[in-house]
Amino acid sequence: MRFTLIKDLRQDATMKPILAGLLLFIFLFLLSDIFVKYSNFGIFPHALKLTLFGDEEQFLDPLSQSSFLEFWHVEIFFMMMILLTLNAVFIRLTPPDTSQIIVINLVMISAILSLISLPLSFFLSDSFIELYVVCFFTWHLFALYMALYSFWNLYYEKSI
Amino acid sequence: MKKAYKHSILYFLLFSLLLLSSGLMLFEHKIGLNVNSVLDYYLGNQDKYTAAKSMDGVLKIVLPHIFAFGLFSMVILHFLLFTSSRNKAEIKIIVYLTFTSALLEIAAPFFIILGAGFFAYLKIGSFVLFESLIIYISWLLFKSIIHD
Repeated sequence: MRFTLIKDLRQDATMKPILAGLLLFIFLFLLSDIFVKYSNFGIFPHALKLTLFGDEEQFLDPLSQSSFLEFWHVEIFFMMMILLTLNAVFIRLTPPDTSQIIVINLVMISAILSLISLPLSFFLSDSFIELYVVCFFTWHLFALYMALYSFWNLYYEKSI
Repeated sequence: MKKAYKHSILYFLLFSLLLLSSGLMLFEHKIGLNVNSVLDYYLGNQDKYTAAKSMDGVLKIVLPHIFAFGLFSMVILHFLLFTSSRNKAEIKIIVYLTFTSALLEIAAPFFIILGAGFFAYLKIGSFVLFESLIIYISWLLFKSIIHD
């Protein structure tokens, strides 16, 4: 990635708006992802249980195994690419201290845990749904923070 | 390499293993990991009441995979440039093998539909080879991050 090679991104008149655009789109993707999941898949335990396991009383069919696996597969791909890109920008635009490492670890661990808890909920026990919900919100919040903080540093922080 | 990059790549490798696992589960569930089930999936089977796949149908499944295979292979392979083994002949072979196996995996269904049943072997072989190569690349990167 070219932006990992340029010495001072904030002084580069071309890379600065390119990175700002990238961060804006990552921010919009993360927000949209919350809304789309809210309406199509569920982001709270009750809605998630209905989507995954259906409900006989409401005549809702459970999600088929092949639909679930397709959803999970696509989800993993998008998350890994988004988070790798966001991490690369965040590392370049924030001071290389302990808090930077902590944020990267938190966002990645919660994202991976959310992906692992999803099949565990579907195949093993619905008690993993709560873990999925917690991890889903954790990684989204930290990723949104990373995008905003990187954006702030790109334009306003002079001390890095 | 910065410590933060090392952490980031390590997590990327974990994501990659999850992607491989989900791909394997999907392949096993939808197509099956033996030659007859691959042929049944693409050519249909009257006894199982499954219809043959059309060229359009396969193209719809293949289209996002062309982009995803290319991007994923490029991203994971380019990390090898930051390891001490970047100039070894082995790395060049791995790069060619990864893209070739991805290409064969994507192209094989079209040949099966056109009547070349032999490509069912190639479909399974290229899938297994691609997954094995990604695991091996992940291992090389993991070793490099830990030791370098």
